[in-house]
Amino acid sequence: MGRYRKPVQYIILAVVLLIGGYAIGNSLFSKSVVLTKGDKPPGFRLADLNNVVHDMEDYEGKPLIINFWGTFCPPCRNEMPALQHQYDKWKGQGLELIGINLSEDKLTAESFIRQIGVDFPILLDKDKKTERKYGLKQYPTTFFIAPTGEIQEVVIGGVLTEEEIDKRIERLIQTKS
Amino acid sequence: MFQNTKCECGHQNPVGTVLCESCGKPLDEALLKDENALLEMRYDGVARRSQKANPHLVDRIWNFFSSVKIAVYLIVITLIGAAFGTILQQESTIINLTERSEFAAYYKEQHGTFGVIYHALGLSRTYESWWFIGLLVMIGTSLVVCSLDRVLPLYRALSKQQIRKHLQFINRQHVVYSGELTQDKQEWLDGFAKELKRKRYRVWREDGALLAEKNRFSRWGPYINHIGLIIFLLAVLGRSIPAGHMDQYLTLYEGETRQIPGTNYYLKNDKFTLDYYAEEELASNQKGTKVVKLYETKARLYECTDACDDPTREPVLTEVKQHDIRVNSALAYKGLKVYQNSFQEKVRFISVHATLKDKDSGTDIGSFDLKMNQPEEEYKLGEYALRLIDYYPDFGLDEQTRPMTKSRDPNNPAFVFRIAGPGIQDKGEVYVYFPMPSEKSKYYETILNESFKQRGDNSGRFSIQVDNPIVDGQMNNIEYSAFTTYLNIRMDRAMPYVWVGAAISMIGLIMGFYWQHRRIWIRIDGDKLALGGHTNKNTYGLRADVAGALGKTGIAVDPKTLDNRRNER
Repeated sequence: MGRYRKPVQYIILAVVLLIGGYAIGNSLFSKSVVLTKGDKPPGFRLADLNNVVHDMEDYEGKPLIINFWGTFCPPCRNEMPALQHQYDKWKGQGLELIGINLSEDKLTAESFIRQIGVDFPILLDKDKKTERKYGLKQYPTTFFIAPTGEIQEVVIGGVLTEEEIDKRIERLIQTKS
Repeated sequence: MFQNTKCECGHQNPVGTVLCESCGKPLDEALLKDENALLEMRYDGVARRSQKANPHLVDRIWNFFSSVKIAVYLIVITLIGAAFGTILQQESTIINLTERSEFAAYYKEQHGTFGVIYHALGLSRTYESWWFIGLLVMIGTSLVVCSLDRVLPLYRALSKQQIRKHLQFINRQHVVYSGELTQDKQEWLDGFAKELKRKRYRVWREDGALLAEKNRFSRWGPYINHIGLIIFLLAVLGRSIPAGHMDQYLTLYEGETRQIPGTNYYLKNDKFTLDYYAEEELASNQKGTKVVKLYETKARLYECTDACDDPTREPVLTEVKQHDIRVNSALAYKGLKVYQNSFQEKVRFISVHATLKDKDSGTDIGSFDLKMNQPEEEYKLGEYALRLIDYYPDFGLDEQTRPMTKSRDPNNPAFVFRIAGPGIQDKGEVYVYFPMPSEKSKYYETILNESFKQRGDNSGRFSIQVDNPIVDGQMNNIEYSAFTTYLNIRMDRAMPYVWVGAAISMIGLIMGFYWQHRRIWIRIDGDKLALGGHTNKNTYGLRADVAGALGKTGIAVDPKTLDNRRNER
């Protein structure tokens, strides 16, 4: 036994360091789901109003805005036209804009979108799954995602004016992937 | 400090040896001073494995964890820390809150300044905190190191015991006897050995010396206990791996099916029952009060078998379990457990059986089921076709007085239909329908349909309504949920390991508590008989064994006189 003493000591201490380090490390980094600047947005696979599947990966490497909205939320309704205008202005330069509806009935979302005349993809969340993944607390919440795949800014609540959106898109487009 | 570790019997002992590994002669200086003092028999006097003359850094860390004193401190600190976590409710038990700021606000509101301090110190997450986990890890390390350092030398010492011991070793035991042996040496030893064998001792002999021993296995009890505790601790630490642990809540109204987040399972609430005790069932001091007899959720568990991740299709579900979930009767399936947690009394429409009426002719055209969630968009009623063109689950008006829904729940649903068929203008007629039988809903329905009529969108010929909505005070032709149930869903894959650990630990404790390791040494020099006995607990038992065996072989002694400690008193 004697000559194995040292290796055994080292192995046991290493295992302790590994397990202990993992357990303590786990407890140190709290699992907050709120996304902030610099985070990588979680992936999703959702159907749009025409029942076509959109995968988050389809938008990799492009400047992307994800707007979570619902017809039950007045500020969401109010900023929708501004988003559409800005989409018209910037889509030629590669901007992608996705509106994710907050788990409403398809018909409810569809009829509002038709009224406003939105033509960017509207995806339907189901049972608040995507909303939960993105840690949403207030509506609307808009994520500005740079071509690098990192969140550049999160705008929570409040109505975005055209200038405010414009300014942010410019910054997004300028960020090189 | 230089220490001579070579015994006079010629055996070379490791540093830290208290009693010579071979002959048992005391080596420790403190023991050498007083020749009558009792011997320190811990671990049979062998050195702890890692005791060294020149410890290095790793040795120092090892020695830190090898100390029982440190282990006791660690346990006491952990106990105190754990106690702090019981002062106020822990965050993990608060449903619906997830963010730090929300918790901070909650503790401030509930417990004032103390709550703020408690939360700021992180005590609201005591058991998940780095320092608590750190203490557990240290206790675990201490368990491994302490055991290893002691059990191996002890095993070695006990498996190659010298039969002939040093006279001092024998005379300084707890149980001693010495006297003249008048009988034949060999004959007496034969008889004595036979007596001890009858008491289930194992006996070894060597030329005028004897060693008898029983229940050595009880010495391993503490170490088996420690193995159990280590498994237990590892299982507890393993719970921090997300895949092995789940504790969440699901709200379901009657008839609703929802996916259990993070799993492939779906749960359906068929019916929730709230039952009270009848007046005559209640005790006299409870009469007139409402005492709940039963909370029950009739639940079904489904597993998704197809189209689980396809957002364009509804998932295909297969029922795997049905259970009436009551308090203390959880639905259990493959490690998943669903408990009744709470409920809310809240009426929610699920569907209505509506009828399309032709007011001109006073006839019913047909009836159809209209769901409040994901309603069908097309309905065929005889020659007429209804197309649902808009749906507001919770009708209201926005700032621009456009119709909108105020929430995602069908609190006041409004359906807009376009009716096509014989005798109707080409573009069809548009009607709004509010199923909720409230005055406000019906008022909205009337004015909206009136305004459609003025715009030329309808002729006012049709109406949609539920026939006999109320019969005997009960809603008729309306399917609704009276209660929303709150279910707690738990999964704890670590639990079997916790039980195994606890069981092993218990086995170890029983081994150590209910049996004693007893040893008797005899040495006959000429006609002088020296007897020493040692046990790790219950010296009464050992003294009775020795006195009994001596008595049977012609040496009558009172068991009490064998007690070596009487010399000190």
